[in-house]
Order: sequence, then structure tokens, then C-alpha cells
Amino acid sequence: MKVGEVMTREVKSISFDATGIEALRLLQEMKISGLPVVDKENKLLGMFTEKDVLSYILPSYIEKVGRFIYKDDPKSTKKKFAELSTVKIQQLMRKDVVTTTEDTALCEVARIMLTQKARRLPVVDSNARLIGIIAREDVLRGFTQETQQA
Amino acid sequence: MIKKFIALIVISVTLGILSRGAGLSFHQATAIAIFSASVMGTLFFWDFRLTFALIGISILLITKTIDLYHMIHFASLEVILFLVGMMILVGLLKDTGFFAWLVSLILRIKNLTANKFLVYISFIAAFLACAVDEVTSIVFIVAAIFEVCDYFEVEPTPFLIISVLATNIGSSGTALGNPIGILIASKSGLTFEDFIINAFPIMLVALIATIIIVKWYYRTQLAELDLKMKTLKANEMLIRLISVPPERELKISLGIFGVTLVLIALHHRLELLWNLEPNTILLTMPLISSGAVMIWKWQKARDYVEKDVEWWTLLFFMLLFAQAGALKFTGATDVLAQRLATVAAHNTAFLTGIVLWIATIGSSILDNVVLVAALIPVIQSFQSLNMNLHPLWWALLFGGCFGGNITLVGSTANIVALGILEKEKNIRMTFFQWFWIGLTVGIITTVIVWVMLLVIPWYR
Repeated sequence: MKVGEVMTREVKSISFDATGIEALRLLQEMKISGLPVVDKENKLLGMFTEKDVLSYILPSYIEKVGRFIYKDDPKSTKKKFAELSTVKIQQLMRKDVVTTTEDTALCEVARIMLTQKARRLPVVDSNARLIGIIAREDVLRGFTQETQQA
Repeated sequence: MIKKFIALIVISVTLGILSRGAGLSFHQATAIAIFSASVMGTLFFWDFRLTFALIGISILLITKTIDLYHMIHFASLEVILFLVGMMILVGLLKDTGFFAWLVSLILRIKNLTANKFLVYISFIAAFLACAVDEVTSIVFIVAAIFEVCDYFEVEPTPFLIISVLATNIGSSGTALGNPIGILIASKSGLTFEDFIINAFPIMLVALIATIIIVKWYYRTQLAELDLKMKTLKANEMLIRLISVPPERELKISLGIFGVTLVLIALHHRLELLWNLEPNTILLTMPLISSGAVMIWKWQKARDYVEKDVEWWTLLFFMLLFAQAGALKFTGATDVLAQRLATVAAHNTAFLTGIVLWIATIGSSILDNVVLVAALIPVIQSFQSLNMNLHPLWWALLFGGCFGGNITLVGSTANIVALGILEKEKNIRMTFFQWFWIGLTVGIITTVIVWVMLLVIPWYR
């Protein structure tokens, strides 16, 4: 089975010039955790996820500082969250996104998801234009259908 | 990029040709050309420094400038293993919350004033750099500074600069503070006690001088912080912001680290007692402790080794030490030492000044490990000229550490701190914003070292 048979074609994306807060609202409205970011020609530029918001609002050095417990919310976090209304998602999104194509085998997508620790992969055409998205759930649904047919 | 690469090749080849023209042998000229290419590689292509080191050492082997046996000998595995052991220990301390606990101590300082804050961050930064290393130390100090400055709504840049200056100065206080410390200890035979007796007092004087300088230089910013501290009153929110429960793990890790430090401090006595080679205990203590850590935390042992040890940097150090060793192996450094001694009229005091200022100016531009690795064989060569090496080693140590304060790329601690500043606050510091205070502190502290090395009898 190929990606094109199970992927979601009506994929919601967001423009690169949207602000962080606009993108976050969209995630909350749609009850999803990530969105592809595209340019005016619908070319994929990156992925914006809830994790990008968290890593923006929390200090970058928290991992290096080691184990501790926040007992209160630092002022910086609130300030950084407020900045989301002006910060463009270009600054927040992940740019090195692994993509796939419509005619890729389902097993290959599953391999990529497992090895790259990806929850979902944007599907692009030969011009890098976004044409869909495939999530782990879609892959498993594809495998289930394939087994039932067999 | 291509222009820089061509410049690198042209300069290193020209240096090789000039060395040959000056009467040096083919192998001596090759060693100089390859080492200078690696030095410029770190300057122009920092991210690719390992590439230059790998290709450079291969050329030295192929041209028979150095043989395999000596390459391995000069790679200074004992220093690399020491750093591996310390990095594993630091990984454990981080994992058990030791550094976060230190940050929380800074946040809990009672009745905070701007001057108190300045003195605390300067001393904690310097002492932490003495005990662990400058790069580890600076991350935690910067974290504490950002939290305090955010709370009091002041710009963190001046305090960040102060902490970096103090960290670089503190890193000269013991053999543990900076990779050049352990490198010098290993090659000179100086003990941890020698560092405590000779380096630590100079470091303290330089630190106090630095505090006085920055207190004057940043008087406006300190006054602003003082005003904010009075306006916002007690820092209750900061006091309870983070907590690190004093769990059993934190206590055990503190115990392991404490025992390691004590035994390192006593290494010379123990070596005499057990009739061991000089510095055997100093170099093996972190290995014993990291071995103990890996038995205790066996589930995370692989993580400590793979994630907390900076293999990229250590591999670069090994190859660089081997390349610097080729300078000694071929006798190139003997020629250089002979000429330097002639310039200094075989006067140790004059030579101390030359080494100190070369190290200071050089490490303001170059990575201090690169510079010190190159100068160590030169200093060793002075011994054959019957010169007293004692003040020269200290000049090399202080020049290598204090020179890092002059420019914003002068030491790894500077680069790490400025990277955090840019990422967190979107503040990109300009060269001159750093340079004037860096130069002032760099020159004054180096002059202090110079005077102390020349005037105080036990340094001579």
C-alpha cells in the first residue's frame, strides 16, 4: 500500500507570516498538536508544533541545568508567552522536516516515523508543494486494511 | 568561505617555506606549516576544526614528520582520560541536581542589593570554575543571572559579562578550572598543591581587581538594579522559584565529588606515600570516581559516557596535542626556544613577560588550548638552556586564561554565555560592547600577574 491511499488530503496548514499566537490558537481550535507551515505557493517551509511553543517560552538552558522543580512560574515565561503575539512562526517552527511523497510505500513511512521519532509526515509533490499529511494512525489504518483484504 | 580556505593554505605554506628558508629542516618546516593550518582552521572554520586536525596529523604521518609511536605519546591520553572522567562526574552532578541547587542558593540570597549580587556572582562563578570547569560553570551562573534580572526587570547583559570575566579568571585558580590547567600540570609536573599555593592567590587578587573595575564600569546599571531591588522589595518569588529536594542521590553525588576533590588536592602527598609517578593520583582520581559513578548509576552509565563527554572536542585536543608534539619531535620548538632566549638575553624575568603577553594576546583571538599546546614544547625546550621554568608555566597559565576576557570570542565560556543571551533575550552583543571592558580587565589583570610573578620571590 502507498502513502497516497491513506494520507489526509485536506490538510490544514498555516502561512509563514502568521504569528505564534495565531498558530497556537489554530492548534487549539483544531485540537491537533502540529501544523505544516507553507509559503504563498503552498511550498512546505517547516512544521510548527506545541513543543516549539514550549521550547520558546521556557529557558533554553533548563536541560543543561539538570534536575530541579519549578515551584512557581518565572516572570520570563509569562513575558515570552506574551511575545507570541508578535513573533512570527518562522522563528518558532522546525525547519529540518522529514517529508514523504504519495507513492512511497507505507512500510518506508513507518520506518521513517520509527527511526526519526516523527508522529506525522507532510506529503509533498515533486515541487515541494504540500499535498497532504500522514500520521501514525493513518499508517496503522493502512496496515489493518491491507491485512483484512489479504 | 573559499577565500578564507585559500588564505589558510597560502599562509601555512608560506610559513613552511619561510621556516625552510630560515634554516629549518624539511620536517621542522612541515610541522610548523601543518600546525599553523590547524590553528587557522580553529580561527576561520571553528565547526570544522576536527577536519583540519585529522588531515593535518595524517600529513605529518605520511611525510614521516612524526612516527606512530610518538604521535600516540604526544596525544596526551592521560589528559584526555582526566577530562573524560571529569565530564562524567559533572554529568552525574547535573543529573542529581547539584547545579540547580547552586542556582537556587543564588536566588535565595537574603536582603539582596546590587553590590551583594555583583560580589556573589563573581565569587561563585570563579570558585565554581575552579572546581569544575569554566564552560560547565558559566551555564549555571547565567541561568541564575537571567532569573534575577528578569524578576527585577533589568537588562542582564552587564551581569552576564561580569560573570564571564569572573569565570575566566577563576578557571586559572586550580588545575581543574580549564583544560590548559591540567595540560600544564601534566607536562610541567606541577601538582594541585602548587596550583593552590601559586595560582589560587593570584587568581583571587585578579578577581578582586576585576570586581572593583566592573563595579565602576557598570555603576549606572548597578544603581538601576539597586533601585529596582528597593522598589520590588524582597525577592520572595525568586526564593521559592525553584527547588531541588536534598535527596539521597544529591547527597551521594556531592560525597563522590567532594572525595574526588579532596584526593585530587592530596594527590602529591599520596603519590609520595605510595611511591607513585608524579601526578598519577591527580590523573586517575576522576577515572576512579567516574568508574564508581558508573557502578552506582549503571542504568545511566552509557548516557553519561555518550552524552556528557564531549568526544568531538576531546578528539580535537588529542590530535592537536599530537601536532604540537610534532613541533617538539622535529626540534622546531628547540630552535624557537633558542631564538626567544637570545631575544630575552637568557633573562627569565624578561622571558616571563614575553610568554605572559604572547599567551594573553594569543588566547584573546585563539582557543587557549591551541595556543598553550603550541607553547608547552617551547617552554620545555628552555630547560635544556638551563633556565628556570617555574614562572614561565604560571605566565602561560594566566595568559591563557586571562587573555580569554579580552574579546568576545576569547574563550569557550564567552561564546557559550553570549549564545544563551542571543537565544533567550535576542540580544546580539557587538564586538566593542565587549571589547572595552574585556580589554580593561584583561590588561589590568595581566599586569597584576606580571608584577606578582616578578616581584614575589617564590614565583621566581
